[in-house]
Amino acid sequence: MSELVKIVEKKPIPSGATMLYGLPDVGLVGLIATSYLISELDSEEIAYMDSDLLPPVVVLHEGLPHAPLRIYGNKNFIAVISELAIPTRALHRVMRKLVDWGQAKKVKMMVSMGGIPIENRQVIAEPKVYGAASTKELLDMLSKKGLSTLNEGYMVGPQALTMRYCAEKKIPAIALLAQSFYNYPDPEAAAMVLKELSKITETKIDVSKLLEKGEEIRLKARDIMKRTQQEMTHMKKSQEYDLPLYV
Amino acid sequence: MYKKRRKRSIFDLMSEYMEEFETLADELIESTFAERPSWNTESCCLEPLCNVFVTPDEVVITADLPNAEHESVKVEALSEDLIEITAKMKRKMRFDDFGITHREGEFSFLRCQPRMPVPVDTKRMKISFKHGILEIRFPRKRGHEIQVE
Repeated sequence: MSELVKIVEKKPIPSGATMLYGLPDVGLVGLIATSYLISELDSEEIAYMDSDLLPPVVVLHEGLPHAPLRIYGNKNFIAVISELAIPTRALHRVMRKLVDWGQAKKVKMMVSMGGIPIENRQVIAEPKVYGAASTKELLDMLSKKGLSTLNEGYMVGPQALTMRYCAEKKIPAIALLAQSFYNYPDPEAAAMVLKELSKITETKIDVSKLLEKGEEIRLKARDIMKRTQQEMTHMKKSQEYDLPLYV
Repeated sequence: MYKKRRKRSIFDLMSEYMEEFETLADELIESTFAERPSWNTESCCLEPLCNVFVTPDEVVITADLPNAEHESVKVEALSEDLIEITAKMKRKMRFDDFGITHREGEFSFLRCQPRMPVPVDTKRMKISFKHGILEIRFPRKRGHEIQVE
């Protein structure tokens, strides 16, 4: 039986890179941040995901078909983006495959970028970024870099699974999550996440163009935001608002 | 020949009901998000993202209005349960701007028509526009109080 989810490599994959995840989620924070980084770092498509579990969709770019879930890279970064909200029923298999693949490529760390939805986002001028990590050492590293960390509560969605599988396999993994809108695209939150990524990875990332293009991105991201919202309803993303029970 | 059916346990039945219920719930979610384009070339409008929340006292409608001219934002109650939000865009957009060459048309306005899920007093709405997000708050209409015996 053929593999349900496979990653097709188009170019040699760098070894020892940092693997970034920018999958559609609250405020499309991770997707906007990662897409911007891909264009800023001038990286090229090195692989894509092929799976019968994903909807029958191709994305046309300059007239040619591409898989919606693609992996870009240069020698320091491997970045995963998806121009398609990943169906909840496929999410476990997709994330497990990505983590396994990253491990096989000996990535040094996995970084999920995303948002933490807050209700009064429109009155916050500068969204705060929180960190989460798969190990105590990484949590300490985030604190030393000046980040507040998530200590209790629920994580739901792609970054939750990345964190779980990485902890299982002892792969260093962190999540950088900015306060964001739940269901409106949030380029400012994406810029804040990139600023923190820049500090942690000691890579220069200029977010000024991202902030300049903010309104245009919000207009263009309406449709994928709407479809992502449907999937967030399916996966019960709102559970992140829940208060956990510890007796 | 008569074949004896295995008696299904209450757990099998419950699990079947749950599956049926989940399918119905999925269909309901799908129908809420109607499959139609987020643009209309005839009226030159793009449909902004919009959400409706119900609290115990209010109905709160928010809409993301990027590229909107602040002064042109207009909120109108079309009926007791239908609101129209419109705004002129600072810059016209064409399909070209989205990289699409197989459609023609340009867009000058943002427009959406959210529906009220519960009765509200549309005459007492409060409007704010911060950070490109329009927020409209309507007080809910109250019924009559029931005496606790």
